[in-house]
Parts: sequence; structure tokens; C-alpha cells
Amino acid sequence: MKVQTAFVLAAAALVVLALAPLFIPDYWTGVLLGMTGYVTLATAWAMFSGPTRYVSLATVAFFGVGAYTVAVLNEAMPYPLVLLCAAGIGMALALVVGLSTLRLAGVYFVIFTFGLAELVRQLVSWWEVNVTYTMGRYVFLPFEGRHIYWQLLALAAVTLLISWAIGRSRLGLALKAVGDDETVAAHAGVDVTRIKLLLFVISATIITLVGAIQAPRWTYIEPSIVFNPTVSFMTLIMALLGGAMRLWGPLVGAVPLFLLFEWLSVSFPDHFSIILGLLFILIVFVMPNGVLARLEDLRKGGRA
Amino acid sequence: MSAQLEIANLHKRFGGLVAVNDVSFTLRPGEVVGLLGPNGSGKTTVMNMISGALPSDGGRVRVGGVDITRMKPHRVARQGVARTFQLVRPLPTLSVAENVLLSLAFGRRRHWGREARDLAEEKLAFVGLAGRGEEQVGNLTYIDQKRLEMARALASEPELLLLDEWLAGLNPSELRIGIDLVQHLQGQGMTVLLVEHIMEAVRALCSRCIVMSAGEVIAEGESGEVLQRPAVIKAYLGDDHA
Repeated sequence: MKVQTAFVLAAAALVVLALAPLFIPDYWTGVLLGMTGYVTLATAWAMFSGPTRYVSLATVAFFGVGAYTVAVLNEAMPYPLVLLCAAGIGMALALVVGLSTLRLAGVYFVIFTFGLAELVRQLVSWWEVNVTYTMGRYVFLPFEGRHIYWQLLALAAVTLLISWAIGRSRLGLALKAVGDDETVAAHAGVDVTRIKLLLFVISATIITLVGAIQAPRWTYIEPSIVFNPTVSFMTLIMALLGGAMRLWGPLVGAVPLFLLFEWLSVSFPDHFSIILGLLFILIVFVMPNGVLARLEDLRKGGRA
Repeated sequence: MSAQLEIANLHKRFGGLVAVNDVSFTLRPGEVVGLLGPNGSGKTTVMNMISGALPSDGGRVRVGGVDITRMKPHRVARQGVARTFQLVRPLPTLSVAENVLLSLAFGRRRHWGREARDLAEEKLAFVGLAGRGEEQVGNLTYIDQKRLEMARALASEPELLLLDEWLAGLNPSELRIGIDLVQHLQGQGMTVLLVEHIMEAVRALCSRCIVMSAGEVIAEGESGEVLQRPAVIKAYLGDDHA
């Protein structure tokens, strides 16, 4: 498919999705909203973790920081400025975390990022209880579901665009090389540390913004809501299902899984975690490279 | 004319073990020099310190007059030093052409786009992989992976090439092809430091040899003469043969 054709199709899809809330019931707008949020999270996650294979479980740390920034600042300054602050804080946190952890390899990185999410949650809780004497905050912003949805849709489009641009650039090539063999990449002239850090920061900033934009949806926010580790796991599993090495992979994984989780959490609220875990194992065993890679294999197999 | 590579008093310790002890030598531009010695004598450690993979514990490395002693590998690469690895290390998620494109994109002149693709094809053709850019790396035979390793090194447009047992593991006819390739590079004026165990290759390629044993340089000079010296034979084969 030509690049132009793909762009026209993507733009058309974007218009249809943007108009959808005017014609569908509010409940479905809510579903679209949640889905778009996860598409963005999974795409942003895969931007860094896909090619480099540094599996990050810190998604919810940034997501929660974004949401909390909005909760704290929403009455102090205009909304666009609040979003800007959230992005800035997310970026700064990602820089600090990136500089201190991107040396860690494999499972140590996974464990550290998981611990980081928990650490941030505990720190925020401690701060709220001991310093500001609040536990939980209210977010009063004059947004309806569709307003939030449109913001997320725009962010999702930008995220996919960034991911596409990186994939075509020398940066994308360097990232894949780093994922394969950091030593070889370095000897080919790639500044491995800088490239990993750059991508980690871009990815984390987008994730922070997803949390910030979604914050008004809850109205009431507390650490256990916005720092729920399930967000990290769901993002990861969606990206893996679709294929974290491909542009459309995370989207392909996020859409069906979000609908499935939505249905499961309504129908089996008590068993949700168990089912999530089983699905996780199933996906990793059956399709370690994702649906898209699997389809490609099948197609190649059919031709051969 | 100034030296292409100048190593002065290089030291490296691993805990209590002295891996490289006060090693000094120089390579003139366009020279192909063999770095020889039994296993564990410190050859690869010297290579790693030149390419920036290992920090040295003392001494200086200069390339084309520029001090690269404390530089990280990516900066050494951009100074015009390329290397191959003792065990081939192709990047498996990249295609054959992309493996070469990587060095073109991040090497000395940072090529990209159409120009880079043409140059990649040129480098692949040079090593004998013409028209195979779209192939998966995993499908390449061992000699072709060696060729790719060379193409990737050349793609960063080096002035100094470090070949770490690049000819090892080839059968006699492949070895011939490999030696021809290096001779071709020599004809183009490339400076090459060659770690090698295959004496046939050393005799064919190297005007000069540096022999290491237990971390020190024990002999240096014209290849044919150096390989006859008792100290060198003793280092390789033991006392009885000296």
C-alpha cells in the first residue's frame, strides 16, 4: 500500500471516529474513550519497549503522575497549562528514571520499573497524608465524555504519527539494532545510552498525557485508583498481542482486549485478575511476536 | 607521515590478572599488521581497548593523531575505527541491507535515504553479497555472515579496520576468498590490524607482525622473520620445540 493511500485511509478513519460521539449513546462514547486511551498507552509503550525489548512496567507510574498533576493543579491554572505541566513533570521523571535504570538489563529492568510504580504511589500517598492532609482529590473540569474522547483521539493520532516517523528514520533503525545487540550498535556509531533515554522520555511523556487527559473522567482521584498496576499489565499485554515491533500492532491488540476486559470486568468482577493472568500466559506462549507477525507467517506459509 | 594507529604503554588488569602489560606499537597508514599470540595472550583485550569496548587502566591510544583513549565505542567508530567480532554478530531483526545501513547512518559521514541505500548495495557487492540486501540475516551461511560483518564494518567508512579472527572457521576455498577481500582493501589503502591464528593468512596479508604472550609484546618485525624466532615458537608450542 502506498504511503499516500494509507494516510488518506487513516485520516478518513480519524474523521469517522471523531464524529462518532455525535451519533452514538453516551455509554459507547465511554467505551471508545477507554479504548482510545489504551490504544495510545500501548502504542507509546511499544515505541520504546518494542524494538529495545526493555519491558517496562512503569506505565502506571507515569499515567498516575499525569492524572495527579491535573488533580492538584486544575483549580490553580488554565487547563492547557495544566496539561503542559503534566507533560513536563512526566518528562522530568522519565529523564531521572531513564538515566538511573537504562543500564539495567533484562529482568532487572522489569523489576525496577514495577517497583518504581509502587514507589511513586507510596510517595504520593505519604505526601498527601502527612503534608497536605488530604487523601483523594476532586477534579472539577467542565468536560463531558466526548470532550475527553476528542483529546485522547488527537493524542492517539499524534502518537501513531510519531511512531510512524520514528520507524522510518535512522532513529528507528538504531532502536532495532539496540534491541538486537547493544555492543554491535555502539561499535557501528550509535550512541546507545542517548537513544534509549530519548525514546524512553518520548514514550513516558505520552503516557503521562494519557493519564492527565483522562483525569477529569474520574471526578474523584486517589492513589489506589490512578496508580493501579493493572494499567501497566494491560498496556503490556495489548502491545504484545498485536505485536510490539509494528506500527499498528499495539492498536490491533488494544481494541479487542479492551472490549474483552470491559465485558469481563462487568460479567466476572471477582475473577477478573485471574482471567487477565491466564490470558497473559496464553498470549506469550501462543503468539510471542503478536497477531500481526502470526498472520504474516500464516500468509507466507500459505504461499510456500 | 604520522602514524595511523599509535598505542603507547597500554595496561589492563582484570582483578589480580594482568591481561595487558605495557603494550606499545604503531601502524603506518595503509599497513596490514598481524597481532598474534596464543589464546589468552591479550590480543582481543588490546582490540577492545582500541575500539572503546573496554576502558584501559593506563596508556594512550591515538588514531590519526587524535587521542581516543577515553572515548566510548560510538565515538571511536565516528573517529574512523571499525571492527568485526570474533564470533559473528549479525543483527537478526534487521535485513542484510539494514545491517549495513546502520553503520552508514551512524558512521563517519552519516548517510541516509537514497544515497545510503546505494552505498549499502555498493558495500554488499564489494564483499560478494550483491543483490541480497532484502534477505533475512538468519538465512545466511557462515561465510556470508562473515561477509556481512565485514560490509557492516566498512560501511562506517573507517581508516582503521580491526579484524578479530575474521578468517577463523572458514574452509580452504572460503579462506582464499577472505584473504582476497582483505588484499583488496589493502589495495585501497586501508590500514588493518588483524588478530589471526591462521598462519597462511598472516603470511599472505601481513607485512609486519606483533606477537604477544601473557599480556606483553614479545616480538615485532617483518612477518617471515618474526615467526621463525625461538621466543615466538616457544610461546606458541612450548619449550620442546624452541
